[in-house]
Amino acid sequence: MRYRLPRGPTKPESEPDHPMSLLLRPWPFPVLLALRYLRSTRRDAFASFLSLVAAGGLTLGVMALILSLAVISGFQEALRGEILGRTPQIEVELPAGLGDAETLAVRRAVETVEGVTSVQVQVRGGGWVMEKGKVQAVELVGFEGNVPRSFPGAAGRPEGFYVPAPLAARWGLTPGRLLQVVSPRPTLSPFGPQPRIRSLKLDGTYRSGKTQEDRDRVALPRDVAETLLGNHDRRLDVEAADLDAAIDVAERLPAVLPPASVVRTWKDLNRPLLFALRLEKAMMFVAVSLIILVAALALVADLSLIISSKRAEIGILGTLGATPGTLKRAFLLLGGLVAGAGMLVGTVLGVGGAWVLDTYKLVRVPGRVYFLDYVPFLVQPLDLVLVLGLTLTLALASALYAARRAAALDPVEAMQR
Amino acid sequence: MSVAVRAAGLSKAYRDGLRRVEVLREIDLAVEPGEMVAIVGPSGSGKSTLLHLLGALDRPDAGSVVIGGTSLAGMSGAELAAFRNRTIGFVFQFHQLLPDFTALENVMLPGRIAGREPGAVHAHARDLLAEVGLAERFDHFPSQLSGGERQRVALCRALSLEPPLLLADEPTGNLDPASGSHVFELLLDLQARHRTTGILVTHNPEIARRCSRVLELVDGGLRQAPGER
Repeated sequence: MRYRLPRGPTKPESEPDHPMSLLLRPWPFPVLLALRYLRSTRRDAFASFLSLVAAGGLTLGVMALILSLAVISGFQEALRGEILGRTPQIEVELPAGLGDAETLAVRRAVETVEGVTSVQVQVRGGGWVMEKGKVQAVELVGFEGNVPRSFPGAAGRPEGFYVPAPLAARWGLTPGRLLQVVSPRPTLSPFGPQPRIRSLKLDGTYRSGKTQEDRDRVALPRDVAETLLGNHDRRLDVEAADLDAAIDVAERLPAVLPPASVVRTWKDLNRPLLFALRLEKAMMFVAVSLIILVAALALVADLSLIISSKRAEIGILGTLGATPGTLKRAFLLLGGLVAGAGMLVGTVLGVGGAWVLDTYKLVRVPGRVYFLDYVPFLVQPLDLVLVLGLTLTLALASALYAARRAAALDPVEAMQR
Repeated sequence: MSVAVRAAGLSKAYRDGLRRVEVLREIDLAVEPGEMVAIVGPSGSGKSTLLHLLGALDRPDAGSVVIGGTSLAGMSGAELAAFRNRTIGFVFQFHQLLPDFTALENVMLPGRIAGREPGAVHAHARDLLAEVGLAERFDHFPSQLSGGERQRVALCRALSLEPPLLLADEPTGNLDPASGSHVFELLLDLQARHRTTGILVTHNPEIARRCSRVLELVDGGLRQAPGER
């Protein structure tokens, strides 16, 4: 860019303005000095190399951190979808011995709570399903009305008997087939205590998901379930508009519930899993951040070398009236420019790379081994803010350390070097 | 514009290992506005140290420096830097130009440090360089200039903000006699035309004699040079 200014009386007509005269730009002096030193550093092979190492290290660190957090977030999101899709939003464990009328009254009271979209009385317990000599331990979930949301693929269907799709496939079950459901709760007979058995016609299947659940669940009408399990373990399956709303709703429920009721949200029900996911992400963040720490140290070395090689010039600037603050800001900015270049490239490569890898599903994994057949990448804004915040903090701390050394130089001593 | 320079009881000592070397002992100095004073003395006599104290580049162990009625005592580093920028122009033996900046940019530096408007600083720097015959050297870097040219650029840089005080430390000491003489003529001419108070440190008796007054620094004390009025 060429700047044309009013010419002085003694300016020869033939003399062109300097095409690169940075000092003509109306920027503060520290900015001009930092930009000039950034450019002149290219002439010093070792300083250039160190600048490249520092900027490259920050690029690598930012990119690695963004990609590693994106892959964890991608897996977490997929896993959360899998797990939370099978978990009630809010589960209320009612006190034992609550009669039908009292249970109905509680249910109606819960329905009036702000934010509640549906309430279902359920009963749960362990048991088995049997068919032609084959036995499978299951968790029996007795429900009323339509099939609840926690049975994906069957949710919303009419009351009936539903088993997991893999079990149906393994046993060759089709709707209409008769199965025996067995409860460990004994019933007294002339031959002594006997397990309770009911024959139920299969109404359908639900998707059990690709993760390993503790135990296969089967859904059956609540009245049938209570003949098998009794009514001591009644629960309410409460739904809200979404997962976040469910947390708020859960806080309002105790006011309408009988004493000794226990309210658990989807967070409580999956606490160990959610904690493990957070821990995994945090540990990965710390481990990959070490790359950025090393790059920040390279930045200190780079700036220290530049300051050392410009020592006499810093002294001269001091004699010309550059204040320690001016020099500090210039070298802080120089460090910021090197770090900023690294961060910018790292962010573009990290975010762009994550988008490409996720959109085109470039990293394939065996679907039979994992619950997905590709590695998902999800860049979350908060992760990005954390990565850039950490990088900026470390880079500026490094640059500040070096800049303070430049500002502390005595002009006379610096010039005598 | 010019200022009076007053120094009273100025002392400075350095540590050389365990030894304490007293460089300046209770020096009193008075330079009148517009005067050009030469300070001579053998190598190591403390001429440069005295110049650094007068130029607010170093602090005395004892005594005071007052320039244009402003005492340097008690000023912070930033205040001293700002004072140097607007009040004092320096010319050193080794030009001390910044190698990453062109001749024109070197002359513009004090103005840009002071935060002055770039266009005006640029125009004034061009005028100054043209005044010392360097109109064809605006865009040359110091490495592309001869010794005499570099020192002329340094002189322009020292005078670019029209400081009331010019301090020169052996400004011709690194030049051949012809270039040295040329630079000194320029210095005297510019000092007279810009009506600047000047203090010059030199080994060269010829140059010293052409100043309005010559002082000699011997054994840490300042006295009238022999043969001077």
